[in-house]
Parts: sequence; structure tokens; C-alpha cells
Amino acid sequence: MDGSNKKYYNRETSIPYSCDGDIIKEAKILSLSKINDKNNEPLDKGQLPEGAKLLAVGLTLDDFDVPALKSEKPNVVFVSHCCPESGKTLVQLLDAFPTIEWVHSRSAGVDYLQSKGLTAARHITVTNAKGCYSSTLAEYTVMACAYFAKDLPKLMRQKNNKDWNKYEVLEMRGATLGVVGYGDIGQAASRLAKAFGMKVIALRRNPTLSEGCSICDKVYGVNQLNTLMSESDYVLVAAPLTDETRGLISEEAIAHAKKDAVLINVGRGPIINEDAMIKALKSRKLKGAGLDVTTLEPLPKSSPLWDLDNVLLSPHNMDMTATFLRESTEFFVNENLKRFVHGEELLNPVDKAAGY
Amino acid sequence: LKVVSRPSPINPIVRSFHSSSLRAATNTVTTPHADPQLKNYKFWNREESTPGQFSYLLDISPESIRKEARIISLSAPDDDANHALHEGVLPMGCHLLGTGSTLQDFDELRNSNQQPNVVFVSPSCPKARVQLPLVLAAFPSIEWIHCRSAGIDFLVSDALAAYKHLPCTNAKGQFSSSLAEYTMMACSYFAKDLPRLMQQKKGKKWEKYEVEELRGKTMGIVGYGDIGRACAKIASVYGMKIIALRRNPSMSEVDPLCDVVYGTGKSSLNKLMSESDFIVCSAPSTVETRGMVNADAFKVVKQNAVFINLGRGPVVDEESLVEALRAGRLRGAALDVFIEEPLPPESEFWDLENVLISPHNMDQTGSFMHEATEFFVNENLPRFVCGEDLLNPVDVEIGY
Repeated sequence: MDGSNKKYYNRETSIPYSCDGDIIKEAKILSLSKINDKNNEPLDKGQLPEGAKLLAVGLTLDDFDVPALKSEKPNVVFVSHCCPESGKTLVQLLDAFPTIEWVHSRSAGVDYLQSKGLTAARHITVTNAKGCYSSTLAEYTVMACAYFAKDLPKLMRQKNNKDWNKYEVLEMRGATLGVVGYGDIGQAASRLAKAFGMKVIALRRNPTLSEGCSICDKVYGVNQLNTLMSESDYVLVAAPLTDETRGLISEEAIAHAKKDAVLINVGRGPIINEDAMIKALKSRKLKGAGLDVTTLEPLPKSSPLWDLDNVLLSPHNMDMTATFLRESTEFFVNENLKRFVHGEELLNPVDKAAGY
Repeated sequence: LKVVSRPSPINPIVRSFHSSSLRAATNTVTTPHADPQLKNYKFWNREESTPGQFSYLLDISPESIRKEARIISLSAPDDDANHALHEGVLPMGCHLLGTGSTLQDFDELRNSNQQPNVVFVSPSCPKARVQLPLVLAAFPSIEWIHCRSAGIDFLVSDALAAYKHLPCTNAKGQFSSSLAEYTMMACSYFAKDLPRLMQQKKGKKWEKYEVEELRGKTMGIVGYGDIGRACAKIASVYGMKIIALRRNPSMSEVDPLCDVVYGTGKSSLNKLMSESDFIVCSAPSTVETRGMVNADAFKVVKQNAVFINLGRGPVVDEESLVEALRAGRLRGAALDVFIEEPLPPESEFWDLENVLISPHNMDQTGSFMHEATEFFVNENLPRFVCGEDLLNPVDVEIGY
């Protein structure tokens, strides 16, 4: 099993935190978020753990009364990804309040927060919402596989034409799912894929972390990407966006794709060379793609992806349940805040240098 | 595997339609509920059963042959899914005497000294319902009927019921995993609102909307046989709760995949309808099940439930289904089977937006029928010649 599991939260399997011990230190929180964001109610209006206090909520530096707040010595920043400026604003906050020691991101992706300033601030721990969204994305992943295996587009066309035409379907059983980025989302997808009888190839930066993994058949390092592409009927991109993963699914990687392969992306758009992918989709080098993320979001109307009939497009919402953001805030309040005030190690540490 | 505590006592209003238990076509009566690991299960499951046990035995020990199998195939002669039987190498002791789709095609055999004892019947035989009893009457030497498909409704008749003393077996367990894949796709189709995605794509509209998880939802399976179990196997990994409904609920009492097991009877069905977010109808079409999911059932259905039918069209009262869809009680339906197939162009289902229609092909892989024939050749034929129990007994009177 994955040896690093204990550091990370999993919505389905983690045991809720409880501790009777003393409060070691207080948590004085600034929330870099929209005011009146209903999803933040567990923080804004809820009952916080003993020793924790919310000082202020704001979207830009101007929203925070720096002189007044300074005396309170805020040490925690909770960040919701609500505007493109978040990364910049965060650094401004860190400069204004040198007492800050912990930044928690409500989302799993922290690419929006990345900055030299943040990476340089070595005394700052960053945590995120890894494990909070995975099962929904796993459901989407196998749905995307089935969409192509049972040729759902054909079914829709036939229905439109009142055409009763029996055609052959493919089984997912026995097919291979290659998972690029074998984190919490990748593992959740593997679990489901295994239930369908699929074979799973996992690819990650540290393959040894998945040695002996019961839910994947093979584990590859990043240098074996082309091999994974040549062996997988369905390729799931579930990696975070970092300097290393940007453009990882390159023209070359796509050229190695197995015949009739399907590409599925639930990570970040820029991980795939979009132009190369579009070319491959047009030429049917790739049978199809299921894309919940794209390089530009919202996807501009000019993008060829809209017109390709072998593309399943979704507006980066396949994890967007009614409660997912709220649950993420609850995770911050009930799991990490409690750990913080009791002086315990926080869950979901982000490696700032690595970017995830 | 999750171990669940025994479900509450079977609904006292359960009505069993037949006082005698399912007539066993084999010598030994194996009771799966007495065998929680289902090790001696008398049915075949493509994914879980150990293949080739008896064909292997024949290979290494021909003395195991107790009797010969002399087979006639009641099929369309050009049906190449029967390759393993018509052209393949049969196990030792097995001989194919002839292939035909009517009794006349077997005229030559009538006076031969090689009389058939096994008839293999495929749905490709055009008038199988009429021809099979005629063949059985003409060849009283026949002692075993094997149906290549899982559904035997295309064969059942009063004339055939006269032969209920003969063991009859089918392809139960052969098609289940494909249909389970379809079931999960159908559930996700509605949970992630795939129709909306398609619409937005057409209009180049990038608009976020909320999706639902299957995790935590309830799947109610009407007719918990091999297909139902295959669905439960996958649905439980999603974190769904499973309600199973079957004629013999005690047989699923220790099934770790089911959270609750109901027996048959109107109130049980209604209970399932009212508690399920996704209803999977996988029952065979029999005298009992015809029209079973009717207006009363749809009246109490949970608001916004999704109805999936992959068993047989006649089990559902299609008019009530249409009504429930139009009235907005059901969020949608995914239908692979219909009372009339091909579905006539005037059927209302074509025009209902929230219905996913497939032409009874969601188990139709490139090899599914070939594999069904292979099952007959590699699994049941060797068992027959070795004098062992046959897999997949069905009761031609009860209909499955």
C-alpha cells in the first residue's frame, strides 16, 4: 500500500480527528476568500474548535485592516480559489503579517497559489484539500470510459433518427487504464476501474511509493510515459500542474498512444499539449477524449474542441457536487485546525518546491 | 468484502407463488445460502467460476466418460457464433449429429441408429418456440436441452412445459458483467447530467453546474440474479447502498453485497421503488414477472429516481413508465429492452428527452454469443459426459 497515506486525508477512509489534550497554541485565522461565500460558512459562521478564531475575511489586501490586525498576530491563512490574483494577494498578506506560519488551500490544486514568494517563505507550511474530491472524479472517469466503450454518441444519434440498429459494444473488463499522476484521484479511479475488471498502470514521480499496491497492476516512473501510452486503452491524466507536468502529454507521448485510445483529463488542462491532442482527435489517432479541464477556462468558443464529435466536454465541474466546497471547508475546520491547535502534524502537506 | 448483519426478517407479506422450491434439474440440490462463499454454486459466472475443470479432466482421464453426447443444434445454420460447436473440436465423447432450424432438417436422423440425446438451441433459430417441442417429440432419446442465451422466454410454451422432466440449462452468468457496466454508465449518465453536457456542447456553452455522486445513493435491483449481483458488485465499490429483490430472498441473506433483501409481492416491490434512487430491472420475463413493474409501482417511486431496464421489456408496464416520465416523477430512464423489438418508430420512448434508448445491444460484444457457445462446449458438455451436475439449471415451467 501507499506508504505516505497517513499524511493525507481521504474523504472515504480517514478516521475523524479527536483529541482531548491541551491547546498548545491558538489559531488566528485570516480568510482570503469572498465574503458571504456560503461554502465557507463552517469557518465564517460555524463553531470553531477551541483555541481557533477567525479574524477577518477579504479578497484583496485592501480588505484587511493591516494595522489593527497586526496586533492580533494572525498565524493562519485560509485561501479559497476565487480570483486569479489569489497568488499575488497571498504574498502580500505574508509580507504584511510575518506571524503567519500556515496557509491552507480550500482546493486540491495549488497551482493558482504558486509564486516565488511563497516557495521562498520557508517557515510557512502549506496544506490543501487533497482527497476531498477524489471519488466524484473517479466516477466521472469510468463514466468517460463507458461513454466511448458503449459508444454513447452513437446511441444519441440513433435515438435522434429513431434508428434501431444493433451494434457491438466494447467491454471495459480486461481493458487497460493508464493513470498519469497516481495521487488520491488516480487511486480512487483505480479502485473503481478494478471493480470493472480493468487493468491499471500507475505512473508517478515516486514509483516506489506504490510498490505492492493492491489496486494497480504496474507502476511506472515518469520516464516510462511512452510505454504507458502504448499499453493503455484509456489514459487518465490526474496529475497536478507543476513545472514538471506542464505539457507532459506531449505530441510525442500522443504519438505513442495505443490504437483507439481514449484520453481523459481531470487534472489541469496545460498538462496536455492541446494542439497535439486536437490533431490526434481529428485524425482519429485518438479515438476520443473526455475533458473536464482545458488549457483555457472558460473554453473559448473558438476552440476546435467544441466541434469535435469524439470529445466529451465538461466545464470543470465533474467534482462540483452541491456540498464539495463546503465539505472542504469542514475538513479545514474539523481536521487541520484541530490538529494545529493541539500542536499535531497537519494533514495534506504541500511540497512547495514540487508544486503539489 | 463488507460484512453486513443479517437483514431484518423477510417481509411477512411476501407471497411465494409456488409452494415447491425451484425444481432442481440436477441430482444434488445445492443451496447457496448454506454456502456463504458460494463455492458450490450451481451457476456459472464468467468472471468468478473456474473454467475448464471438466474438459481438463476428460483430457487427462478419458475413463471419466460415463456416457456419450450426441448433439443436434437447433439454430440458424449460418450462425457463426456457434463456431465452437459447429466447427470446433468437441470434447471426447461428444458428437454433433446435425444442425438445422426446423424438424424437417433432421429428417435423416430419424431412422438412424445414432439418436441424439442433447439439443442445443440458439435464439437465431427463427421459430424455436414451435420447433423445439416438435424436435423433442420426434427424438424421445433427448435427455438434455441447452439454451445458448440466458433468456429462455423465447422458448417457453405449454408444449415445452410438457418436457419439464428434462434438465434444461442456459447461459446465465455469461453476459452479466457487460450489463453491469451499462448499468453504472446509465446511473452516471443521469447523475452527471450527460444530456446537459451534450446540449451545452452543441451550444458552445461553458456553464458550470452541480453534479451528483453515486456514492451514498441507493440502487434497488428487481430480480437479483447473476446480472443483479454483477451490478451490486460494482455499485458497492462506488459506495452505493443495495436493495435486492428476488423470489427466494433467503438465498441472498448472507450475500455481503446486499444491504437489504426483499421477497416478491406488491408491497416489497413498492418499498423498493420508494427507497431507491436507481432502480435496475434485471428480472427474466416469466408468467409471474410480466407487467410486474406497473402503475402502482410507479406511483410510489421515489421522486427523481432513475429507472433502468436491462432484463426484458414485458416485465414493465410501458404505459405507466411513460406516464411517470412525463409527469416528472422519474428523472429519467435507461432502457435496453422493450416489449416490442425493434422498437417501432411510433413508440413514445423515442421522443422523451430523458430516456436513454439502446437497441438491446448493451451486452452485445464482438464475442458474447461465441463465448456462450464455448461455455456449452467447454463446461456443460464435459460435465454431461462425466455424469456430473450440469451448470445453470432452468425450470421451463417457471420460465428461468
